[in-house]
Amino acid sequence: MPLMSSFPSAISLTRRRALIGGAGVAAGLLLPSLARAQTRLQVTEGNVAPLPIAIPNFVPGTPSDGEVSNGVAQVITNNLKRSGLFAPIDQAAFIEKITNIDSAPQFANWKSINAQALVTGRMTRQGDGRLKAEFRLWDVASGQQLTGQQYFTSPEYWRRIAHIISDQIYERLTGEKGYFDSRVVFVDESGPAQRRVKRLALMDQDGANVRYLTRGSDLVLTPRFSPSTQEITYMEFGQGDPRVYLFNIETGQREIVGNFPGMSFSPRFSPDGQRIIMSLQQGGNSNLFVMDLRSKSTTRLTDTPAIDTSPSYSPDAARICFESDRGGKPQIYIMPAGGGAAQRISFGEGSYSTPVWSPRGDYIAFTKQGGGQFAIGIMKPDGSGERILTSGFHNEGPTFAPNGRVVMFFRDPGGGGGPSLFTVDISGRNELKVPTPGYASDPAWSPLLS
Amino acid sequence: MKVDKTLIASVALHVLVIGWGLVSFSARSLEAPPPESMPVDIISADQLSKVTAGSKTGEKDKPKPLVEKVAEAKPVDDTAGKITEKPEVKTEAAPEPPPKPVEKPVEKKPDPPKPVAKHEPKDEPKPVEKKPDPPKVDPIAEALKKEEAKKPKPKHQAKAAPPKPPEPKRERVFDESKIAALLDKRDPTRHAATGETLNSTSSLGAPRGTAATLSQSELDALRARLTKLWNVQAGTEHPEELIVDIRIRLTPDKRLAAPPEIVSRGSSPRYRAAADAAMRAVLQAQPYDMLRPATYDQWKDMIVTFDPRQMFNG
Repeated sequence: MPLMSSFPSAISLTRRRALIGGAGVAAGLLLPSLARAQTRLQVTEGNVAPLPIAIPNFVPGTPSDGEVSNGVAQVITNNLKRSGLFAPIDQAAFIEKITNIDSAPQFANWKSINAQALVTGRMTRQGDGRLKAEFRLWDVASGQQLTGQQYFTSPEYWRRIAHIISDQIYERLTGEKGYFDSRVVFVDESGPAQRRVKRLALMDQDGANVRYLTRGSDLVLTPRFSPSTQEITYMEFGQGDPRVYLFNIETGQREIVGNFPGMSFSPRFSPDGQRIIMSLQQGGNSNLFVMDLRSKSTTRLTDTPAIDTSPSYSPDAARICFESDRGGKPQIYIMPAGGGAAQRISFGEGSYSTPVWSPRGDYIAFTKQGGGQFAIGIMKPDGSGERILTSGFHNEGPTFAPNGRVVMFFRDPGGGGGPSLFTVDISGRNELKVPTPGYASDPAWSPLLS
Repeated sequence: MKVDKTLIASVALHVLVIGWGLVSFSARSLEAPPPESMPVDIISADQLSKVTAGSKTGEKDKPKPLVEKVAEAKPVDDTAGKITEKPEVKTEAAPEPPPKPVEKPVEKKPDPPKPVAKHEPKDEPKPVEKKPDPPKVDPIAEALKKEEAKKPKPKHQAKAAPPKPPEPKRERVFDESKIAALLDKRDPTRHAATGETLNSTSSLGAPRGTAATLSQSELDALRARLTKLWNVQAGTEHPEELIVDIRIRLTPDKRLAAPPEIVSRGSSPRYRAAADAAMRAVLQAQPYDMLRPATYDQWKDMIVTFDPRQMFNG
C-alpha cells in the first residue's frame, strides 16, 4: 500500500477507504462521485428584512403620459413600502434610466444598488382614449422575468391599475394574495367633540379617493363590507331605535334590514353576501339572528339571558364567533353557523369583544380590555396562540385585509383629539397610520375589487 | 481542693463530651471522594477538525505497524525489495492500486480468523468486514460505470484528477512534509510488509479521519454567507411548508458551474416565492471564497437546505 501512505490527498483517502472496504479499483475511483452529492448544509437563519426593490418611473408611451407614468410608480412604491415586506429603493440611487421595457435591463446596474427585484412598466394612451398599462417584474440576481401583464382601463382609473400591479408584484414575491386593490369604509368624524358629525365614508385602502356615503344628519356606527359584493351594512340611529341598514355602493340605494321590534345592531355579512347576521334586543338582553336577504326569513341562533353580540362568520360559513357575557364578563365564543352549543375560546385576563374572523380562516381578531388598556389582538379559532398586536388608551374595532395579513383598527389617543385609523401586520410589526381627511373610526375592509 | 476536683471533673467531662463530639461528627462528615481528575482542553471547532484530520506530517506513534494482511514473518530481503517499489508508486499515483486490492481479498479470506482471536477487537472487525465487501464492489462499480457513461461528468473528474498527482511532487520538493516523507520511507515499507496482526490504522491519520473534508469553520462561513443573503419574509406563517432544498454545483474557482437546482418539491405560490428567495441567496453568494481548494471534492456538489422553521416558532 505505498500509494496510500505516500500522500494523504482527498483522493487517496477516499480511495483508501474504498480499498479498505474491499472495493474494487473501479469503485475506488468512482465512489467519490456518489459521496459528492451528500454534502448537505442546513441554513436555518435568514435575514428578516424588507425586500429591496427598484421601481423606476414607468415609461410614458406618449409625451402626454408622463404624469400618469410617474403616478403609477409612486402608488406602487407607496403600497409595497406600507406592506412592510418591501423596501423600495430611492429613485435617486438608480444608475440606469429605463427607457424601453421591451428589452431586458442591465442587471449589473441594479445589482450594484442592491436591488433584488426590479419593476419596469409603460403607460400609453390609446387612440380610443383608453389607457394601456404594461409592467414586468424582474429578478435581478437571475435576470429572469418573474411576471408581466398588460391592462386597459379608463384613464381616471389609473390608481386602480397601480393597485392591481402592486398586488401582482406582492403575490409573485411573497406567494400570498395581495390586498392593495381594495377599499375601506369607515366613519368620518368632524366637528367639535360635543356635536360630532359622523358620516359613512369610503376610500381606497391607501387613503386616496375618499367619498362620503351619508350626509351626517344621523349617527352611523359599525359599517361592514360584504365579503363578496360591493354592499355595506351598518347601524344607524334614526328617529327611533337604532336599525341595521343595507347600502349598495354602486347604486347608492339604502334599505332597512328587517323590521324588528326594539334595537337591531352589530350586523355582519355571511361570506357569500346573501345573509346578514346581527343582534336583536330583547328586554335587557340581546340574541343573535340571521336574516336571508332574498327571502327575508329570519332565524334565531341563540336564546340566552345574556348579551350575545358582534357575530362574525368563518370564511367557510360553517361557524360563527361572537361575543357574550353569559359567563360574567364579555368573552369570545364559537358555535355552529346554524346555532347550537357554544364553546368559549378566550380565557385571558380582562374582557374580549368585537371578534372578527380572518378571511384566511386562521385567526380571529378581537378587542381586549383590561388593566385600563384597550388592545387589539388575534388568536386561533381554537383559542390558542393569542397575540396582542397593539395596546394603549383606546384601540378598537379590528378588520382584516382581504388576504388576512394585515389588520386595520381605530385608535383614540384620548384628550381633546379624535380617533384615527391604523394598520398593523398580524405579526405585530409595521404599525402605520392610515391617512384620512379628518378623525376616523370603525373601519371595515372590503374584499378585493377584482 | 474540693473545688479543684469538681473543676477537674468538669474539665474531664467537657473533654469527654467534646472529644466524643469530634469523633462522632468526624464520623458523620460527608465523604467527598476526590473525583477522578479529567484533563480537559478547550478547543475550537476548527481545531477539532484539524485534530481529527490526518496530516502529512503526522506522528507515527502507533504501536502496530500498518498491516493489511496477516502473514508469516519474512526476512529483510522483502522489505528491501519493497522500498524500491515505493518511489515508483508515488510518482505514478493512479495506475498502481488496482492490482493490490484484487490480490488482497483473495489472500485475506483464509487468514483473518486467527487475528480475531488474538488481538484487539477494534482492528479486527475491519478486516472481517473487508471480506464480504469484494462481491458488493462489482455491482456498484458496474452501476457507477454505467452512470458515468451516461453523464458528461467524466470531464470534471478528468480535470480534477490530473492536477492532484503533481501536487505531491511539489510538496516533496518544498515542504517540511517533504522531509517527513523522506524519513517516513522506511515506515511505509513496514506497512506494506506483512505482519503478525492486522492493523488497518495508517500512520498518517485515523482511517476514518476527516483529512480533506470540509472543516466546521468552512461550513460555518458558508452558512453565515447564506444566512446574510437569505431574505426571509417577516411574519411568515406555516414555515414548515417553505423548506427549500437547492443543489449547487461549483467550479474549482468557487462559482456556480450550473444554475442551482431546486430539488425539494412544492407547488404553492408561497413555496415558489420561498424557492426564489433561496435561489437569490445562492446566486448572490458567489464567489464562494470561504471554501478551500483542498476540499473541492466535498463542495463541488452540495445540497443546501433553507429551513425557516426555527425563525418563526410560535
